[in-house]
Amino acid sequence: MTPTPDDLAFASVTHVVRLVRDRQLSPVELLRIYLDRIERHDGALRAYITVLGDAALEAARRAEAAVMDGGPLGPLHGVPYAVKDQFATTGVRTTLGSRLLEHHVPSETATVVSRMQAAGGILLGKLNLTEFALGGTQQFPFGQPRNPWNLEHDPGGSSSGSGIAVAAGLCAASLGEDTGGSVRSPAAFCGVIGLRPTWSLVSRHGCFPLSWSMDTAGPVARTVEDTALLLGVIAGHDPADPTTSRRPVPDYRAGLDEGVRGLRIGVVRELTYGAETDVEVRSAVMTAAQRLEKLGARVDEVSLPLVTLAGAVFMALADSDGAGLHQHWLRTRPLDYDQGTRRRLLTAALIPAATYHQASRARALLRAQMHEALARHDVLVCPTAHQAAPPIAAGRAPITSRAQVAGRFFTRRSYVTPAALAGTPALAMPCGFTDAGLPISLQLIGRRFDERTVLRTARAYEADTDWSRRRPPLSPGVADVDSPRRPA
Amino acid sequence: MNELTERDVSTMAAAIGLPVAVDDLTEVTHRLNALFEALTPLADLPLDTVEPNPVLPDLDGGLAPRT
Repeated sequence: MTPTPDDLAFASVTHVVRLVRDRQLSPVELLRIYLDRIERHDGALRAYITVLGDAALEAARRAEAAVMDGGPLGPLHGVPYAVKDQFATTGVRTTLGSRLLEHHVPSETATVVSRMQAAGGILLGKLNLTEFALGGTQQFPFGQPRNPWNLEHDPGGSSSGSGIAVAAGLCAASLGEDTGGSVRSPAAFCGVIGLRPTWSLVSRHGCFPLSWSMDTAGPVARTVEDTALLLGVIAGHDPADPTTSRRPVPDYRAGLDEGVRGLRIGVVRELTYGAETDVEVRSAVMTAAQRLEKLGARVDEVSLPLVTLAGAVFMALADSDGAGLHQHWLRTRPLDYDQGTRRRLLTAALIPAATYHQASRARALLRAQMHEALARHDVLVCPTAHQAAPPIAAGRAPITSRAQVAGRFFTRRSYVTPAALAGTPALAMPCGFTDAGLPISLQLIGRRFDERTVLRTARAYEADTDWSRRRPPLSPGVADVDSPRRPA
Repeated sequence: MNELTERDVSTMAAAIGLPVAVDDLTEVTHRLNALFEALTPLADLPLDTVEPNPVLPDLDGGLAPRT
């Protein structure tokens, strides 16, 4: 049966690559399908800040010619992808989701984008994000990003567009950046797969920083195999980023289907059974752990008492780094920041050095606790978020108390920041839906540089369930009435 | 740490040359006090002997051949 355009839009990257190689699908045809979907749906979703229509079409034509010529083809040949507008792209504006950089056009390209292009990928556009990848943006200058499963709900951040575009079939796959959950949170809220790789596995060159010791680029995709494929493309040493590891990059797709028999999996007690975790989320994650056990894994509980402090420790560290980075603009152009960003950075600028120092020590202690748990387990599992995507309006309510700050900022970050603080890989993947139809996400955390075991576990779960195959019920032609139009 | 007042926060910010506008002051004060409160349990942890290294070196990777 001939696949419909919608089937192709939601097809896996690996399937699309096969069709292109076999001359059953033209890269130009595929690109036009995505451009058409962007035209129909992105007025409401606001996943994109910049769509590279003409340049992408030209690249697709070249990709088509290369197929017809019979020459060597890269692993992503003809695949339209998009990247968070935090990655520099030569000649294409890179806004960071901020009015401050509305007209910023870099003269270099981030290494991860160069590698995607070298693999044959076609850059379709630059994706929306919370301002400067911080989170807490109140008014998005390039349009309010919305959750494809319910437009009134938060798509997650900071790589909001990276999650939306993949979930809504507006690109084949995307790249995001994860300092403290920024790939995994949008993946979780939008019902797709997001991987935070081990810190130093992937180059940060050309990625606007937030916190140097935690910033990590990672893929967002609809299947585990696609995630593995993209990781293989972007991983590896980069002379332009001296912190990158010199380890050889393995074939992350090899052994994906080996299953979980014999693997030791620990369910993180504090994050799964804690009072802050929503009942539906807890139930879905416990059911997922039981399925992994039925598939042959040895599953038990593990306690990581310090993870409940992780959100606050992370903010003391990452926000301080951010405040240092932004101090010039905070002094000279404070009103050009979104109100939420400005208040968060101003707060961080006042954190005493002694507090930063204590938080750094607590980070090392938490990291030791996690590594100890990972010495006894191959993978740790827990929810990616304590709840499904909240309403957008909830994040816009004015802050009038300390308790509100804790609830809105520290609690939810305690689920995603432990892996960031420890530098370990962590993957978010769908594991159910709430009664209201919003995705629930399972988080798999692995040992440093052991992405293969994380991906293998995720693949076993994916193959045993159908959560990743569901598509959001999009209504075409809905315009965004709350946000300003995207500047040309 | 004692709870900071809006006046405290305003003075601290002015001292580092980063004035906080009146509209922002209440929220910044709540945010700062909330952070200090959330970090209070750190005082009970055995942190004095912990080295605050932000990242661990990749020793295995350092020995791998350059590509």
